[in-house]
Amino acid sequence: MWILVLGVGVVLEASDAEAKLYIDITSPSMRRISIAVPDFKYLGHKNEHPELGSKLAGIISNDFDLCGYFRPLDKGSFIEGAGAGITRDSINFKDWSVIGAELLLKAGYECIGQQLKVEARLFEVFSGNQVYGKRILGLVEQSRYLMHRLANDILFALTRHPGPFLTKIAFVGTSTGQKEIYLADYDGHNLKQITSHHTITLSPRFSPSGDRMIYTSFRDSGTVLFMNDMIKGETRKISDREGLNIAAAWRPNGKELALTLTISGNPDIYLIDTTGKIVKRLTKNWGIDVSPTFSPDGEKMAFVSNRSGSPQIYILDLRDERVERLTFEGSYNTSPVWSKLDRIAFAGSSDGRFEIYTISPDGRDLRRITQGQGNNEDPCWSPDGRYLAFSSNRTDGNYHIFISNANGENQRQVTDFARDQLSPSWAQQVK
Amino acid sequence: MKRNLVVATLVVFAFSSIFLLSSCAKKQVITEEKEMEAPAPEVAKEEKAAVPAAKEEKMEEAKIERLKELEEAKKQEAAIDEEKAWMERRAAKFEAEAMYFDFDKSFIRLEYRPVLQEKAAFLKDYPDMRVRIEGNCDERGTNEYNLALGERRGSSAKNFLISLGIAADRIETISYGEERPRGLGRNEASWSQNRRDDFVLVR
Repeated sequence: MWILVLGVGVVLEASDAEAKLYIDITSPSMRRISIAVPDFKYLGHKNEHPELGSKLAGIISNDFDLCGYFRPLDKGSFIEGAGAGITRDSINFKDWSVIGAELLLKAGYECIGQQLKVEARLFEVFSGNQVYGKRILGLVEQSRYLMHRLANDILFALTRHPGPFLTKIAFVGTSTGQKEIYLADYDGHNLKQITSHHTITLSPRFSPSGDRMIYTSFRDSGTVLFMNDMIKGETRKISDREGLNIAAAWRPNGKELALTLTISGNPDIYLIDTTGKIVKRLTKNWGIDVSPTFSPDGEKMAFVSNRSGSPQIYILDLRDERVERLTFEGSYNTSPVWSKLDRIAFAGSSDGRFEIYTISPDGRDLRRITQGQGNNEDPCWSPDGRYLAFSSNRTDGNYHIFISNANGENQRQVTDFARDQLSPSWAQQVK
Repeated sequence: MKRNLVVATLVVFAFSSIFLLSSCAKKQVITEEKEMEAPAPEVAKEEKAAVPAAKEEKMEEAKIERLKELEEAKKQEAAIDEEKAWMERRAAKFEAEAMYFDFDKSFIRLEYRPVLQEKAAFLKDYPDMRVRIEGNCDERGTNEYNLALGERRGSSAKNFLISLGIAADRIETISYGEERPRGLGRNEASWSQNRRDDFVLVR
């Protein structure tokens, strides 16, 4: 059980700009809105948690930064005096317009024992209008979760779309010296180790609804595909056929998986159900066929094959079984992932170093996402298709998880654990 | 008693003849046997007095026989040990000699054909041995593709050994993809070490 709904939202007064769509997230290029998030003010009498004032502001400010729609201003530039409050009447908006803030999030909190109450108001600095206001309740120990919920709520009010703030990312971590699967909040906090196989464990992939995760782990005999029920916390074997049982992908219906098996003597892709039974063989070729990923309608599958000599990405139409090659540039293109918004991201190399690219499934509009900073591999999409996660060794030589907007803007490192963090899978928020 | 004595004497003869056999022609052996048969009645005459001496002699002879048996066993053991040591040396060489591949390729390079032929010869000489071929790749590319590539590298070696007459059920393959590098650098020197098949004997 890893989601516990506790917060209760109460809308404060009717916002002045209820109907206004502040941010159009479908526009191709967006200007980031500057936002100021001063420390939350304590509203009670005796403050038992003075650290929360800056901590809560920090969590939500980081959310605003990571989502790519905002540019949080540096706290050091704030000039507002200590006497200012969190309501419209007690704020001098000139203090904020002069430092370039377009939006101002004012919030206060109160603690009674472990109970935490937060009151938040978002103002348009230019007009002084309140565009959002809410009071939420929860527990002190769940303050990160509460802030993510608040951020989600604010983003929804501004864009009519929920943000990524309540999602989670699983990845392969090497801090034990082995490879195990870990799970963290999308911002890298709240880390948990999911597997303890004490061996090489690879390729976590969340089900479309985020409630199950499949992965591959080594046994003495070779690779085995497992499924972890995240709600029940149970793990079971799905496929342990002789040879490879690797790189499975969920069909969007959540009922079938594609994976690479070598039961024919050659690495080919098969469709199996969630009990592991083979439904259909999908590829039959002398070469290597791996890394399947399905289109949003589940009728097409992109995969990697070396049938033309080097690893390239192909698309199979499951209806007529026609295969077409998608990538032609570069000598090594791999790790395709198909987004809910019908775009394919992949890792490609022409000189031994890998970069993340995105391309339209019809082969048009190839875009380079990373720009020569170290190696960039293992792309994955956020469940809504608006963000990318990938692993990069650009900072210290070890691989860490980065997230960015779908167009590659706003690349941010979200994990900084010991050794490598690889192969992310982004989970839908479990409802 | 008398019979015993005769038996003892015959044993003596038997042993002497073993010693003589190597140096004498068949005819000579026969004559010497005849010559040596002569003192036998003498021994029979001294029957009563000779009993303790004969007993001692008999024990002595049994001891010698036992020693000889031991020596023979030791020799056999030494021969087995030598054979075993030779096998172990060959086994060690079998396991030490990896086979290396070109980047993103799984075909067997010409220079490794003799290496595989030697491995096949070893497996033919020791039919109880099985082999596990472990396919490995350098770190470039994805784990998933490299797991498949490692599997193909293992299969290449397996198929070659089968073509040389090794039964398929004596060969298993496992791919470690890029997960078990020997060279840890991010350069060709390390990578070329990591694109390999390891051969592990399963006894």
